[in-house]
Amino acid sequence: MIEARTLTKIYNKGKFNETTAVSDVSLKISDGTIVALTGPSGCGKTTMLSMLGLILTPSSGEIFFGRENVLASSDYWKTSFRRENFGFIFQHINLLQQYTAIENILLPLYASDSDPGSYREKAKELLSKLGILNRANHLVEQLSGGEQQRVAFVRALIKDPKYIFADEPTVFVDEETSHIIYKVLSELRDTGKTVVISSHDPDLMKIADETCRMTKGKLI
Amino acid sequence: MMKKHMNLLSYSFDCLKRYRMRSAVIIITFLIATTMISAVLFTKDGLEREAQFSVSAAPDLTVQYLKAGRVAPIQASYAQNVSQIPGVEIVLQRTWGYVGIGTNTFTVIGLDPAGLNYSRGVVTSLESGRFLMANDSNTSNIVIGELIAGMLKVEVGDDIILLSESIDATRFHVVGIFSGDSSIYTADMIVMALADANNFFKMSLGEVTDLCVYVNSSTSPKDVASQMASLPNARVLDQDILMRGYKAAYGARGGIFTTLWTILLVGVALIAFSQAIVVGHESRFEVGLLKTFGFSTLDIIEIRLIESLALGFFATSLGMLIGFVYAAYFNAPGLVDILLGWAFLPREFHLPVYVSLESVFSIFAVTVIPLLITTVVPAWLNAITDPELAMRRAAA
Repeated sequence: MIEARTLTKIYNKGKFNETTAVSDVSLKISDGTIVALTGPSGCGKTTMLSMLGLILTPSSGEIFFGRENVLASSDYWKTSFRRENFGFIFQHINLLQQYTAIENILLPLYASDSDPGSYREKAKELLSKLGILNRANHLVEQLSGGEQQRVAFVRALIKDPKYIFADEPTVFVDEETSHIIYKVLSELRDTGKTVVISSHDPDLMKIADETCRMTKGKLI
Repeated sequence: MMKKHMNLLSYSFDCLKRYRMRSAVIIITFLIATTMISAVLFTKDGLEREAQFSVSAAPDLTVQYLKAGRVAPIQASYAQNVSQIPGVEIVLQRTWGYVGIGTNTFTVIGLDPAGLNYSRGVVTSLESGRFLMANDSNTSNIVIGELIAGMLKVEVGDDIILLSESIDATRFHVVGIFSGDSSIYTADMIVMALADANNFFKMSLGEVTDLCVYVNSSTSPKDVASQMASLPNARVLDQDILMRGYKAAYGARGGIFTTLWTILLVGVALIAFSQAIVVGHESRFEVGLLKTFGFSTLDIIEIRLIESLALGFFATSLGMLIGFVYAAYFNAPGLVDILLGWAFLPREFHLPVYVSLESVFSIFAVTVIPLLITTVVPAWLNAITDPELAMRRAAA
């Protein structure tokens, strides 16, 4: 269970351009569900997702994973928690351009005691499942947008994380890739994973167990 | 835990390949800078060692005669006055001067046969032949530096003719050759018996150029020197004064060393800084991404440390190696005139090169540390920022 209590994020606090991106948002996300954060652009979806994924520190509020108030923990602990439990899919894909697809996929493993090379087969299985095994050794810059998004998906799943945070995962991809993504996300939920999505893709809402609509930084 | 560090090491080397343009720029810059500075520093160290050797080979005190404030020949009988000073063990007469051979100038030293045991200490070893003996007076036997032997293509047993300033030619017989072509002290030296030197320089009867004073081991040369202050017309030089003279000679080039150090420091800092900016956005984004994946701040610092240390140590070590070869084996073409400077040493003289730990450490310090600062500090600053913000700022 993920529980956010009165989360607020204010950018540039005290400056002329102070912006409140998220204001007093509380929500609960049950394990093994898909929860979609939706709303117009600039409503605070990505900020909310980033805070839940512990890659952005809230200005105030609390986040619990189980009984653990993670915001009270050290940066080192949060980093370790992310490493062991989280997978991220970014709106802008965020692959390292000079690396091949498979090198990008194995990247998160370098921070652990695992041997990245031993995950090569698993990476290939996932790439095969997403239909781009033949692109495994291509540089990212040689891949199309849809292929890159699928590589990013595999990267998020390579360590079999308990929580997956996906920010607009279908915004830059074609219909075919979108359908593959819906299918994979549904399968993840079915295997007990918790998926939090930020999106305004109506088809993606259909696979969500719960939809949280945001506007002007608030949950409505 | 060890596996994780191996992973980070592997990732760091991947980064060096990935940012290959930055790596190449840093390596080339460091190579040029460290080659230049190490050639200069290693030669300076070599010259200082030679100076140290020369001074340690000198007598405890050297007494010269002053007349009208200028150094003049000293009466050999003056040695009587000197030898009566408490603490003096022996006073030896010496005549030395310069002789021209071709366009080069060499040092002629005439040693007192009574004190050859003391004088022998000035010579490290002979490459061939023998040193002078007590019965070498008035025989025209000489021992010469290897540099002279090489230039004149003479060996032990050959004769050479020297032309004095009064344009009298004198034939000398080579009985020994000093070893060590890099020794400034013996390289340009022609050693002969005192009587032969006096004859060659046409010294007046009973005159020499200076007196060499050796003091008892239980006595301080400085104490003896202070007592000599009361001797009329005497100028007393101890080893410290000689050393200061040598250092003054090097000091004339101190500005060059300082300038080179400054160029190196500024150059390295600028290049490292510019490269840090060039890859700054990409690097900032990468740090944010790695943090998202669970790389800790320490992991990020470790990666950048490995990268910078590997680059810095590789380029600097290679630069030092090239600098050493350039100075020691190729005699630093282009730099030798600035570095050597002594008018009386011909260009055939090999630069004395010495690699001191202090110099090696200094070179590493001025190259690797700026690189570390300009790469690790920004990485650390990014690593302590929220990953999402780091990536967002990089994209902005």
